Amino acid sequence: MSKQERRKAILIFAVIALVFMVGAILTGAGPEKETIQEVMRDAVLHDINKVSLFGLEVNPGLLAGVIVSGIMIVFALICRIFVIPKFTMVPGKFQLVLETAVGIFVNMAKGNSKINRFLGAYIFAAGAYIFTGTLFELFGVQAVTINGVSISLPAPLSDINGAIMMGCLSYLVIVSGGIAGNGIRGIGKALKEYSLPISLSFRLFGALLSGALVTELVYHYSSLSYVLPVLVGVLFTLLHALIQAYVLTMLTSLFYGQVSDNTPKPLKDKNADGTGRKITRLKLRRLPKLQHHN
Amino acid sequence: MTGLPLNIDFQQILLHLFNFTILFGALYILLYKPVRDFMAKRTEYYADMDSKAEEALHEAESSKEVYAEKVRTFDEETRAEKAKMNQEVAAQRDRQLAQAKEDAEKIVSDARVEANREKEEIIASAQREITDMVTGAMEKLTLEQSASDAFDQFLDAAEAE
Repeated sequence: MSKQERRKAILIFAVIALVFMVGAILTGAGPEKETIQEVMRDAVLHDINKVSLFGLEVNPGLLAGVIVSGIMIVFALICRIFVIPKFTMVPGKFQLVLETAVGIFVNMAKGNSKINRFLGAYIFAAGAYIFTGTLFELFGVQAVTINGVSISLPAPLSDINGAIMMGCLSYLVIVSGGIAGNGIRGIGKALKEYSLPISLSFRLFGALLSGALVTELVYHYSSLSYVLPVLVGVLFTLLHALIQAYVLTMLTSLFYGQVSDNTPKPLKDKNADGTGRKITRLKLRRLPKLQHHN
Repeated sequence: MTGLPLNIDFQQILLHLFNFTILFGALYILLYKPVRDFMAKRTEYYADMDSKAEEALHEAESSKEVYAEKVRTFDEETRAEKAKMNQEVAAQRDRQLAQAKEDAEKIVSDARVEANREKEEIIASAQREITDMVTGAMEKLTLEQSASDAFDQFLDAAEAE
């Protein structure tokens, strides 16, 4: 492409963008159906906009979860049928992506616990679900509520019920690790961390909800709808998709490793003669002598 | 179920759980397990290759040691053989030198004996010749003095025959 042709293409692109912008300003936002307060309240509570799922009135997050799961299962099926049988010892680009994705979670599980077969599979699924689910809100898939209003589907885990499910399930997995590693004693160890299900759930819910709220806020005002969504919509979403997937999987595997660890505690420090007196006491006794001597 | 804060709904939590359980199962069977198994297989393959290479290297090192030992032994043998050969050559040389010296001495002594003999022979021959010459001269003298007697004797002798 010559310099003149390139200049012409840029000019055409700028004119088209300008036409769209003028059109957007002239047509206006249309009659306001919901105020920003209502939108944000609904994003938190989901008490207005419900969608129908097989006849059940559910939050849009659940529908988003089902769609995300469907997409992921189809993707996994395609990989299983067409890609995995053609795996080679020297991996290609796509094989490398798949192996890296699996390898990260396998290594994370191995690094945190000796009993890691189930943990690796769980954190892989959880990480993939959180990451894909969070990216899903980028596509703005539309759904119609039972009131006939069109909404864009949020991330599945920005729904409190989804986040509670993920947090509690992760806690159950941690408890199962305690049982696998230490039997009944493991349950006790896991129950010591009784605040975990709440912290895991609400951390996930808070993080994803805050992303959703900021996005809603930006998209609600047309004056904020130029350029800014590129940063807010894409970069922030990508960033917190990665961060949340990493945080939940890391915390789960850390606590799983902690409660499933069955190595015996080290014995108390004893003197060489086995009298049981602590070394710290000896040090305390000797220190003044040394000071006096000096 | 309603009435809980933040619209927490147990039915929906269970539905989320159901959804995630299916996703977990599908991902485990379709993606996680096959990829992990393949990675384990490759790790095993390369570990096996590595151990074989290690083994081959070990064998090569032991062969190297064996050959180095053989080379050392061969060198020692060669050195010993060389020393032995040198000794033999030296002995042979000494023997030949002694023989040559002996031969030379014999040749010299023989030559000396021969020379003495020839000298004596020459002297004896010279003496004989001198004697003959003297005798001849004496006889000549004697013959000249009695030529007539001699002529008579000759005739007598001829007559006698």
